[in-house]
Amino acid sequence: MSVITKDAAMAPRTNRRMGARSLLRRVRRAGLGFAALAIAAYSFFPIYWMLISSLRDPQYLFRAPDLLPGPFSLESYETLLQLTDYPTQFMNSVIVASAVVAITLVCSVMIAYAVTRFRVPGKTLIIATMLYAYMFPPMLLAIPLYGIFVWLGIAGSLMSLVIAHCTLTLPLGVWLLWGFFKAMPFELEEAAMVDGCTRLGSFLRVVLPLSLPGIITVAVFSFLLSWTDYTYALVMISSDAQKTLPVGLASMIGSFDMRWGEIMAGATLIALPLFLLFTLLSRFFIQGLSAGAMKG
Amino acid sequence: MRSRYDWVIWGFLLAGLAITTVFVLVPVLHAIGLSLHSAQSFIAKPVWVGFDNYARILSEPTFWRAALNGLIYAGGSIVLQVVLGIAFALVLNNAFPGQKLVRGLAVLPYLLPTVVVALTFQWMMDGSFGLLTALAREMGFGIVPWFERPGTAMATTIALSVWLWTPFVTVCFLAGLQSVPQALYDAAKVDGAGAFSRFLHVTLPQLRPVLTVVVLLRAIWMFNKFDIIWLMTKGGPLGATEHLPVLAYKRAFSLFDVGGGAAVATLSFLMLCTVVAIYFRLFPLEEKK
Amino acid sequence: MTKPGKTNVSRRKVLAGAAGLGALSMFPAPAVHAQVHELRFLNAEPAIDSVRALRVAAAQYERERRVKIVVDTVPVGDAYTRMTSAIRGGKPYDIGTLIFVAHVLSLANEGQLTPITQLVNKHKWGKRILFPINGEQYWYMYDYNLCWLFYRKDLYDQLRLEVPKTWAQLLENSRKTMSTSGTQRFGITTPVGSNDATNWMSFGYLWAEGVSLFDDKWNLTFDTPEARKKTAAYLDFFAELYKTMPPGSTQISFGNVLAQFSADQAAHAPYAGRLIEFLEQRAPQLADKYGMMPYPDQGGRMAAVNHGYDGWVIGKTPLAEEAVRFMEWFSDAHYINFLHSAPLHFQPPRLDIYDDPRWRAHPLIEKHAAAVKQMQGFLEDPNIIIRSIDTEGPAPDLRPAKIFESWVLPEMLQNKVLKNMSSEECVAQAVAGMRKAIG
Repeated sequence: MSVITKDAAMAPRTNRRMGARSLLRRVRRAGLGFAALAIAAYSFFPIYWMLISSLRDPQYLFRAPDLLPGPFSLESYETLLQLTDYPTQFMNSVIVASAVVAITLVCSVMIAYAVTRFRVPGKTLIIATMLYAYMFPPMLLAIPLYGIFVWLGIAGSLMSLVIAHCTLTLPLGVWLLWGFFKAMPFELEEAAMVDGCTRLGSFLRVVLPLSLPGIITVAVFSFLLSWTDYTYALVMISSDAQKTLPVGLASMIGSFDMRWGEIMAGATLIALPLFLLFTLLSRFFIQGLSAGAMKG
Repeated sequence: MRSRYDWVIWGFLLAGLAITTVFVLVPVLHAIGLSLHSAQSFIAKPVWVGFDNYARILSEPTFWRAALNGLIYAGGSIVLQVVLGIAFALVLNNAFPGQKLVRGLAVLPYLLPTVVVALTFQWMMDGSFGLLTALAREMGFGIVPWFERPGTAMATTIALSVWLWTPFVTVCFLAGLQSVPQALYDAAKVDGAGAFSRFLHVTLPQLRPVLTVVVLLRAIWMFNKFDIIWLMTKGGPLGATEHLPVLAYKRAFSLFDVGGGAAVATLSFLMLCTVVAIYFRLFPLEEKK
Repeated sequence: MTKPGKTNVSRRKVLAGAAGLGALSMFPAPAVHAQVHELRFLNAEPAIDSVRALRVAAAQYERERRVKIVVDTVPVGDAYTRMTSAIRGGKPYDIGTLIFVAHVLSLANEGQLTPITQLVNKHKWGKRILFPINGEQYWYMYDYNLCWLFYRKDLYDQLRLEVPKTWAQLLENSRKTMSTSGTQRFGITTPVGSNDATNWMSFGYLWAEGVSLFDDKWNLTFDTPEARKKTAAYLDFFAELYKTMPPGSTQISFGNVLAQFSADQAAHAPYAGRLIEFLEQRAPQLADKYGMMPYPDQGGRMAAVNHGYDGWVIGKTPLAEEAVRFMEWFSDAHYINFLHSAPLHFQPPRLDIYDDPRWRAHPLIEKHAAAVKQMQGFLEDPNIIIRSIDTEGPAPDLRPAKIFESWVLPEMLQNKVLKNMSSEECVAQAVAGMRKAIG
């Protein structure tokens, strides 16, 4: 709880000390307010600029920049939807990200649970090995990975991209959930099992609900990683019909004229679902991230 | 009975590990294998050259410059991210009107795809029409060479990375802060410790586990960050922001030297492995009780 | 080949495992050895009108010949990566777009291209636009993208300036057209960063002066005392010119140059016909206020334009013959339609097009007939040199491509204007860089 409550609960002081205290408190509160405002502005300002640029009449984008939202126009969005395959790319990104979240959740829960509950030899080695996926520059991993998909016959499909993304999300998922499960005393499950549950039952009824924040965190992270990935999507997907959003947006830069309005519109639309997702799940996300990270 | 479902869980564990092995280890091994060959493109037949690529790469000053740039970039980014992240977390840990909103805003940058951030900041720092360029001029800083000088290009790239990824640190710390028992603070206050001293002697030690994990993850990610540098400067100007992933990419995809690119990537990988191994020695994952 | 049965079984086992983890529906349709022929076309012109022209052609061809054509579009910089990935993935493109002769060479050397010599020889082509490899033609060029200098004719009239024929005159004009009152206008904009734009836009002055990279025996002619002296003089001139440029030159690329010229931020700009199209679209008030000139040299004798080009290749695929037939069919009316998607930027490489009334009938070509005539003149004028980094040398080769991709020349400029090194030093480093790149 806040420090202020604690202060108020303290024993009464003399008037002089109280006066000095309240002045200090006021200065502190003002400083706090200023700091909070600074943080808010610093974090939000580029996003604000992206938003108003996308909603500005494109002609005005090439004049002296204006801090206030200028002449309102949806032209950038209209052009974007006409010029590019945005809806298709959006659907592809949704499909891939959803699949990645589903697979990652199931697998990381299983693996993390097994590693903490069963006697698995070389536990630390397994966890450390999962980090290797992060340690190699992704661009050079992408080509051999693509080669494996060719051998499997699924090269160029969204499925291959899903698998590629899972190699990025699984290590983090296992790591975070490992921390969660480790912190959960086995006695809870034992109690449930004594009550007649099977291991699976106690898992479903005791472990999962308690680790909900962690699970949601893993879900959010996996979604983020998949939704925003550029390098793997560039290499794995070859046809236009299966492009995902970041690749689609980046290829707009490749065109020879400066379509800043459309680029900002595209950027806003990519970020929008993430903002929505986050607002809905923020509570769990912060909780889960912390607990997992702390115990890991 | 127990044993039936145990089998399911074991099955998943092994399947998961097997799949990770196939899709992670095999590409890594393949890339390392490529570094021992010479090939002009990814469809040419690789020719065995043993360690020639390594000898060549290690003797080039560009490699060492790229390694140094990588260290500067990663080091600078991590230090700033951690310092700012902790500072923000400390501020956001207090109650004030609109706390929830500010917390939400503080996390927003992390949610943005790198591509979006790169484009938005490129737009804001455009030499002719950029908002930040115009603002800097109005405020009397004259023409700020965002990317014109090697030094400023690195600084600007680090600043962008900090803006983008500090929320990760903030969130981890915020949550960690909320689990520090108030009793410890009270005890310290009774002992006469000021705010800063309380931070040093209560907060930091309590959050050591979080700090350990966060710094490690950020170190690995920042050293290998490719997107943001490639999109902003492509390693320029004059190689000032070219680090090992960018160098590997250029060699393999532009300079018709796939073996060389793979060698750079493998060397980068080995460097990271060494650092991580040392890190685990100093800050072991599991505290043996 | 391995025993087919064995491979299938192991594959199936792996797939069965994978099936538990993901929606089966995401598997691609099994590769049918098509009853309906389907050609895959990789296009690298993402402009909506160009894509539309290709799609219309594809639809028409399907109607007439019952062959489907699937068009994928990538930004031009990604074309080669995409083609090699596709080859490696076992699904090569039947028709692809390539913009570097080294890429064509590397694919041809791997046996991944189908020769189209007969198709190419049906027409007469312009100067330096054909790139035969071992006597065969693999590349069907669809445009020139020569780079020259644009200037603001209205400012020249206003300030009574003459079209510059020497570096000194250009520098003078650039200084005079700068204005600090009101919205600031700079003299000239030129990219300086290590990117394609700089390689294409910033070295025309060198070619005009007679500097080259390789001779017919692949000797590095850049490394002769005369070439070094000329290049050093160019760097001195460029350093002065840099003072008349807007800030941020290391970051700008093609699009920025267009934006700056059309927003009255720069009075001179290097580009090709696309700038005129851009003006018509975004800054119509300037659409009749531009002038064009080739890059001048130091002494006023010769001039140059920087070479640029794009072309299509036919992959080594089972449907290659069908693809060649499509190309043949396409190269008439639909090709003109495609050219019309960027009527001034896609400068025809085939000489018959210039006289074709169907091509001439486009409103922009009619309106800017003078510009078109000047562009045609670049091909015919013996005093105008057409040269580029990547086309140096007597035949297609990887060496000029390596020099191109190692950004040796842009870095030479950066050393001069960002680090203020002496011109001789910059040239020496460039020579060293070139020697290292070509190995």
